[in-house]
Amino acid sequence: MNTTSDTLECGHSLAELSAYLDTGQIADPVHLETCPECQAGLASLRHLSELGRELLSSDVADAGSGTDDWMQSILDNLRLELRPGRSIPLQSGNPNDTLWETEGSISALIRSVADALPGTAAGKCRLHGDVATPGAGITVDVEIAVVYGHPMEERAATLRQELAETLALHTELTIQAINITVTDVLEPPKPASPADPTTPADATTPADPMTKEQP
Amino acid sequence: MTEPLEVGDIAPATASGTWAELGGLAEQLLGVVQSVDGVIAVYPAQPLWQSIAGAALSVVTGDAPALITLTDDDELLAVKTRIAVGTSRPAPAVAREVAEAVRRHLLPRPAAVDVSVVKVGA
Repeated sequence: MNTTSDTLECGHSLAELSAYLDTGQIADPVHLETCPECQAGLASLRHLSELGRELLSSDVADAGSGTDDWMQSILDNLRLELRPGRSIPLQSGNPNDTLWETEGSISALIRSVADALPGTAAGKCRLHGDVATPGAGITVDVEIAVVYGHPMEERAATLRQELAETLALHTELTIQAINITVTDVLEPPKPASPADPTTPADATTPADPMTKEQP
Repeated sequence: MTEPLEVGDIAPATASGTWAELGGLAEQLLGVVQSVDGVIAVYPAQPLWQSIAGAALSVVTGDAPALITLTDDDELLAVKTRIAVGTSRPAPAVAREVAEAVRRHLLPRPAAVDVSVVKVGA
């Protein structure tokens, strides 16, 4: 898996985490048990790997590795979002106590909800607004890539509903809008044909952004 | 002076007891936090990359980083923990229960509990 060399706050990079998934080897395996950001990264990388296998299983295994622009885009967003981020205050039962959720934990939760839908991979998952101020209006922006054959509008509506329920349950944020954008439709290319030596070798063909729905 | 106290440290007595005693208390509090329904993991209270000295010490000694940190400033015992919460129960409610359980365990000693939810879901 192609990743750049920039690192998460804990010092590990997505490239290292990807190598760990491939080989089971990493310099300090104990760290993985104690770092929620690395655990979220591993979960996302596992999902991307599974999605890649799903694409490759559709008669295109001989077509080549592809440019993987869509996957690179997702990895770029992962790099930004696998961080603790801002602290989101929670109501406490005692004035001496301070309770928080990290922005990273909520981004990872949003990503897990999107990734749980078949044939879907979450790209950008962002909270916009002043999350540190209780009651402030928050907008959620989620970008997804969808494997061709999964109805997009239905997928977006399902995801929005599930995100609304999940965020209402697990946060105290005042969600004003959940914007879902399908940025890529992952369409397997036609198998290479001897009669057509110019057939592209891409394993996937990202399409133009297809939908952007507002609640 | 306010100092973070980590499990396992051995040091002279403080106003509230020895560091070893507080280390034992931190171990008790870890059990309290882990026993709250919905808590699926407890992470190091201070991420290693925020503490170069702590990171260096861990490399040298192989010690696991402290999961509960205690800070005693004579008036309040500050307790800090970072947790992962499963999806079966609302994360904010679990965080509140953790704080209440810690406070209950420490009675009658006054405490300030800092709970950070750093992961939601398995």
